[in-house]
Amino acid sequence: MKRTTNLCIAFLFLSVTTGCWNLEEPDQLSFVTGAGLDLTEDGKLEASYLVVLPASLGSGQISGGENKNSFQVMSATGKNVSDAMVNVQSKLSRKVFSGHRDIFLVGQRLAEHGMGKTIDPFLRIPKSEMRSMIYVVKNGKPKDVFSIVPFFDRFITTSLSDEQKAIGLKPYLAREFVVDVLSEGKQPLVPVVGLNPSGHYSYRGSGIFNKADNVKLVGFLNMKETAYARWITNDLTRVTLTSSIPKEDGSISLTLHSLDQNIHVQKIDEQLQITVQLSGKGTIIENTTNLDPTKQKDLQLIQDELNQKNQKLVHKIIKKVQEEYKMDIFGFGEQVHQQSPQQWKSLKQNWTETFSQLNVSVKVDLQCTNLGQTDSSIYP
Amino acid sequence: MKLSRIQVVWIIVTTLIIAMIGLRITPAIQIAKQDAWLSMLVGGIVSIPLTLLVVHLSILHPNRTLIEFGQTVLGKWLGRTIVLPYLISWYILPAVLLRSFGDFIHLIILDQTPVWIIMFLLISVVTYLTYSSGITGIGRFCALVGPIIVFTLLVSFILNVRNVEWHHLFPIYTDSGWIDILKGSLPPAFWFAGPFILLVIVAFMEKPKKAISTAMLGIGITVFMVSAATLMVLLVFGPDLAAKLRFSFFVSIRTIDILDFIQNIDILIVFIWVFGVTAQLSLYFFIASYETAQWFKVKDWRKFIWFGAPAIFVMAIFIPNEATITLFSKFWTSVVFPICGIGIPFLLWTISVIKRKSVKL
Repeated sequence: MKRTTNLCIAFLFLSVTTGCWNLEEPDQLSFVTGAGLDLTEDGKLEASYLVVLPASLGSGQISGGENKNSFQVMSATGKNVSDAMVNVQSKLSRKVFSGHRDIFLVGQRLAEHGMGKTIDPFLRIPKSEMRSMIYVVKNGKPKDVFSIVPFFDRFITTSLSDEQKAIGLKPYLAREFVVDVLSEGKQPLVPVVGLNPSGHYSYRGSGIFNKADNVKLVGFLNMKETAYARWITNDLTRVTLTSSIPKEDGSISLTLHSLDQNIHVQKIDEQLQITVQLSGKGTIIENTTNLDPTKQKDLQLIQDELNQKNQKLVHKIIKKVQEEYKMDIFGFGEQVHQQSPQQWKSLKQNWTETFSQLNVSVKVDLQCTNLGQTDSSIYP
Repeated sequence: MKLSRIQVVWIIVTTLIIAMIGLRITPAIQIAKQDAWLSMLVGGIVSIPLTLLVVHLSILHPNRTLIEFGQTVLGKWLGRTIVLPYLISWYILPAVLLRSFGDFIHLIILDQTPVWIIMFLLISVVTYLTYSSGITGIGRFCALVGPIIVFTLLVSFILNVRNVEWHHLFPIYTDSGWIDILKGSLPPAFWFAGPFILLVIVAFMEKPKKAISTAMLGIGITVFMVSAATLMVLLVFGPDLAAKLRFSFFVSIRTIDILDFIQNIDILIVFIWVFGVTAQLSLYFFIASYETAQWFKVKDWRKFIWFGAPAIFVMAIFIPNEATITLFSKFWTSVVFPICGIGIPFLLWTISVIKRKSVKL
C-alpha cells in the first residue's frame, strides 16, 4: 500500500517537473542566425533578422528543379531595440529564438549616429548569445547583406562568421566590442563589410569607434591598415606582405604564419615613449627579383628590405590614426595601464589627447624561415 | 545519526560552492576589479580563524549542538535567549535562498512557469530528503553530488580555455590596492566560514577530534574552486564587463564554443546548480528543524519539519523584490555574521575555556 502511494507521488512529481509550462517545440520557434540594427532615413531604429526556413533545409540531397529559399529577411522599425524586435515578431507566426545567432550587423548610419544606447539589450536578455560576431555594414543596410544569396553556405551569416578566419584575423566577437567599450584604454575597431555592385559582400577593413562620444563611428581603416592594426593588438594569425625591391627591379611576397608582438612602455624625461615590436616568421611565396634567398647575403638583404618597408608603413598608419582620428585602437592605453599602473591613474582622464601626441617607435623583425621550392626567380 | 569525515567535507563543499559562485563573484569584482580572485583567496585565509573558533567551540562540547551547549555554558534562560538570532537566521536564510534560486531559474529557463511552482517543487524535494533520513541522508547526498559539482566545474574551466585572455588580469594589485581587495574579501570570508552550520554539524561527526582538519579540507576545496571560477570569469570577460553581469559565471559558460559544435552547455550548469541548492536548503532546513526541537526540548525533531517547510515557503513568496534580497545580503555581512559568527561564539568559547580551566584547577 505504501509502495503504491509512493509511486503515485513519484508520478505526480514526474508529470509536473518536466517543464511543460515552458513547452516550446522547435516548430513554434523561428531560428535567427543573424540580427542587424540600423537607422532609417527619418531616424527610426530598424531591426532586421535573418530567419531560417526549416522546411527548405531537410535532407542534404539535391533534388532537381527545386529552388526554394532557405531563409527570409524580416525587418521592422521601433522606438528602441526591443520595440523594433516586437514589431518584427508581429510579422512572424513563430517566436524569435536568438540562441543560434552568429552575426550581429550594424548599419553605417546607426554607427555614425552612435550606438551607445543599443548595447544594453544584447546583454540584458537572458537568452542573448555571447558568441556572435559583430560587423559594420559600409554604405548599406544590414538587411541588404542578409538578403545576399551566398554561394558556399545556405546563409550569408555562416560565410560572414568564417570570413575573418579566412583572411587571417582572430574573430572579433560582439562581447569583445562591449569589453572594449567598457575598458579604459582601448577604442573599438570593428570589422567592416560592404556590398559589391555584383550583389555579393566583401570585407573592407574595419571601422574606428569613439566610445567616449556615444560609441560613434569616426572613420575607416582599409584591409591592409586593419591587418597591421590587428597585428599590434595581437589579433592577427596570418598575413601576406608584399614589398617591392627597386634595386633589384622586382618584388617579394612573404606569408607570415607565426606572428608576435610586444609593446613596451617607457618614460624618458617625463615623456611617454612607446615601442612597438612586431615579429613574424614565414614563407617566401613569390620572388620576381634576381636575389637568391638560399644565399645568406641575399636573404639578409631581403629581410632588411622587408623590415624597413613595413616599419615605415606601420609608423605611417599609427601616425594617421593619431592625427586623423585620435582614437587609441591599438590599446596603447591598456598597455600603459598594465605596465605602469600608477601613472595610468593620472593619465587616463586625458588619454585621447595624450594618445594623439604619443611618441611611438616601431621595430619590425621578419624572418624568412621557409624559402619555398625555388631559389631565385624562375624567369629572371 | 552519524556523519563520516568525507561526508562532512562534501557537506561543506556542496553547500557553499554553488551559492558562492552564483552570488558572490560579481559583487567581489565590482569592488576589487581584476583582483577579485585575490579577494577570494584572502577571504579564504580570513575565514580560517573564524572557522577554527566555531569548530573548537564545538569540540569543547562533544556530541552536543549549539542549542544544547549554549544552555550548559550560559544557563538555561540566558542560553536559550542567546541562540534566538541563530534560529531566526536559520529560517530566513533558506527562504531568501529559495527565492533567489526560484527567480534565477525563472529568468534563465522557465520564464513562463510561475516562480512559486519552482519554489514549491524545490521545497518538496528538500522536505523529502530531510524527513526521510535527516542529516545522514544529506551527508550521503552531498558525498554523491559534491564530486559531480567539482568535476563539472573543472570541465567547464577546461572547455573555456579557448576564450581566455590573460591581459584582463593585469595590472595586478595596483588598480584596487589592499583596501579594496580586503573589502571585496570580507563577504566571501563570512560565507566561507559557513553560516554557523559547523556549530551543529560537528556534533554529528563520528570522530569529532578530527573536525578541524575536516573543516579545513572542505573550506580549502571550496576556496580553491571559487577562486578558480572568479579567475575564469575575469579571464573571459575582463573586470569591466564582468562587473555588469549579474550572473557572471553562468554567462561565462555560455561563451563556450568548441569547433562550432559544443555550444549552449549552460544547461549542464543548471543541473549542478539544482544539486547545490538542494543540498544547501536541506542542510539549513534540517538544522533549523533540529535546533528548534532542541529549543523546545521536543524529542522528535521531525515534527518541526511540518512547521518549517510552510514557513520557509511562505516567507520566500512574500519577499517583495530583488532589492530586498540585496538588502538582506548586506544586513547579513554587516550585522548577522559579526554577531552570530564571531561575537556569540567567541563569548561562548571564552566562557567554556575559563570554566574548563577552573574545573581542572
